[in-house]
Amino acid sequence: MKYIPLHKSPLFLKIIFIVSVAIIFFIGGITFKHITVLKKSSAWVSNSYEVNIELECLISYIKDAETGQRGYLLSKDESFLTPYNNSKKLVKQSFKRVSILTANSRTQQSNLKKLLYFINKKQNYLSKTLYLHELGMYDEKTFKNNLIIEKKTMDSIRLKIEDMISTQKTLLQNRQQDYEATMNYTPLLIYLTLIVTLILITIAFIKMNRDLVLLRKTINTLSVANEANNLAEIVGGFGSWHLNLETNQYTFSDNEYRLIGCDPQSFEATRATFLKFVHPDDLEFVKQNTSNILNDNDLPPFTYRIIRKDNEIRYFRSLGRIVNIASGNKTFIGTTSDVTEEVYAKNLVEERNRELESSNKELTAFNYIASHDLQEPLRKIEIFMSRLVSKDYANLSPAGQQYVASIQSSANRMRVLIKDLLHFSRINKAEKIFEEADLNYLLETAKHELAPTIEEKKALIESNELPTLNVIPFQIQQLFINLISNSLKYSKENSSPTIKINCEMIDAHEAEILPDNNIKYYKITFKDNGIGFEQEYATKIFILFNRLHNKNEYQGTGIGLAICQKIVENHKGFIVAKGELNVGSTFTVYLPAE
Amino acid sequence: MTADYINICLADDDEDDRLFFTDAFDELKINTRVSTFNDGVELMDYLNHSDSVLPNVLFLDLNMPKKNGVECLLEIKKNERLNDIAIAIYSTSSSEEHIEETFINGANIYIKKPSDFENLKKILSEVVTINWQYHTSGLNKDNFLMRL
Repeated sequence: MKYIPLHKSPLFLKIIFIVSVAIIFFIGGITFKHITVLKKSSAWVSNSYEVNIELECLISYIKDAETGQRGYLLSKDESFLTPYNNSKKLVKQSFKRVSILTANSRTQQSNLKKLLYFINKKQNYLSKTLYLHELGMYDEKTFKNNLIIEKKTMDSIRLKIEDMISTQKTLLQNRQQDYEATMNYTPLLIYLTLIVTLILITIAFIKMNRDLVLLRKTINTLSVANEANNLAEIVGGFGSWHLNLETNQYTFSDNEYRLIGCDPQSFEATRATFLKFVHPDDLEFVKQNTSNILNDNDLPPFTYRIIRKDNEIRYFRSLGRIVNIASGNKTFIGTTSDVTEEVYAKNLVEERNRELESSNKELTAFNYIASHDLQEPLRKIEIFMSRLVSKDYANLSPAGQQYVASIQSSANRMRVLIKDLLHFSRINKAEKIFEEADLNYLLETAKHELAPTIEEKKALIESNELPTLNVIPFQIQQLFINLISNSLKYSKENSSPTIKINCEMIDAHEAEILPDNNIKYYKITFKDNGIGFEQEYATKIFILFNRLHNKNEYQGTGIGLAICQKIVENHKGFIVAKGELNVGSTFTVYLPAE
Repeated sequence: MTADYINICLADDDEDDRLFFTDAFDELKINTRVSTFNDGVELMDYLNHSDSVLPNVLFLDLNMPKKNGVECLLEIKKNERLNDIAIAIYSTSSSEEHIEETFINGANIYIKKPSDFENLKKILSEVVTINWQYHTSGLNKDNFLMRL
């Protein structure tokens, strides 16, 4: 399952949120600035108008003064002098207002200074002309001259004021242009940032939507997995629990409750509530095992008993470890399984093993009886017989002497029987130590052991190269001894026995008796020219105490070939016999090559 | 102790075996003095008595009541006064475990009780006439078990 995109997206969404908020603040700031600029601009417009009006007023006051003066000069009517006298004060007031209104323009201020000069000049000449006229002591020329200067000054004033109005207009225009420039690019800026914000929000929306879909899918998968897990827990007879390492809270799965015979989630999941169900004898053990889980990060498997709600005692096995889950948190996850059947089965096997061990011991005891206690009375019989023979043989009747011989032969036979029997059981019991051994050497020692008989019977033993194998050496040697002595024993009376030993490597499928696999086997055959046997007895001869001949004809206990079979079985091999009456018999031994 | 005869002890719980043993020495024309004991306890009581004459060769049966042959062997080998006595194990058993155990614990020779009286005589005369000093120095597991 992919968790990574899900838990990374909150960061992405946070960034988008922060950027959006920043952009909105930015737009707010810009808007605020623009409104301020707009306000200023309208203030400028009204200021300009006020300046213009005031300048018009100013010039009209000066005109009033001039008109008043002219009227008085022409008519000598005193009433014409009222506007003239008022005008001085009005001009002063008006000039002051203009000066205040244009305080922030240096051009206008310098213009005003020049204007003031002209106004003062005009007013001076107006009053001078009036004064001369009052005195009546001026000539026509001077008077006329004065009037011309007055007119010129008046023109200058008019020009200056016009100039000032035009300057004001230019100023307004410049400001208007600035304002428009600002106003022109800001809507574009706002528009652009808005678009960017919209794109970001859209991306966030798409992302959130995709996360939601993924989340829904994950929840779906999780709930399926959860159900599967629940089912698996019921079928498998185990429960699970986890411990949140941050909140220190336990959670038990439904089946965890069922395992202890309770309804799912029927009590609060804590360590203490679970320990209540643990068998009192195992409580300390469980506490010890679980006390260190947070330090060790691991709870190795351990088995303990619990008492279920219905008072049934069950065996549980618990184990757990710390895991990293997708969110990066660590959780301790554990499982508990009901291993009662397993424990019972194991106990049963152990019990069987004990029984086997004790029966093995009994067998060993039986062996000891055979080796010691059975031989003891037999030895006594033999030794007393030998004493009887050496001391009183001559005094016995011929029949008595015959009986003594029979007793001796029976006792001897019993000795051989006990010896062979012991041999047979020792093949089973003795430690099976496998080691690399050269079979040629083992064959030679076997022949050496049988040398007297071989010589006596003038037997011929031929063999080809034998392999070196991982075997129990003394057992293989015993096998060779038994097979050769068997051939020597059942040889034809009037011809010297010949034993041909042949060895070759074969595949398992080449011989019927071998299992059907690819293992290679050594096939060792012992072929003699003895009295042979009928093929129907081929398997019977390997059975313990089974003999084909009367014991008076051929000596034997019926144990030798049984020992051979046992030895070959110990080596995971097989042995078969093939016989033809009066022609000979062949014993074939298969030993695995590896 | 005089050098005229060889002092021999046998500890064996079997009456017949004790009889064969003494009969065999009677028939062997060797100058011996044979004492027999019915079990290990009797033997050790005799040996531990400070007045008793110590045997030149001690024949020990393994399977005896009260105190078995191996226990006697261990006790003798621990005792400074006794541990020079030549010890011949004389048992019906020829099991590897018994041979191994007695060899390790310091017995000098292991005799499997024969089933023929003539054989018994042969073995006993052989054992009694062994030069023990020589035999002990060359002792190994192969010549430990007496073969005839």
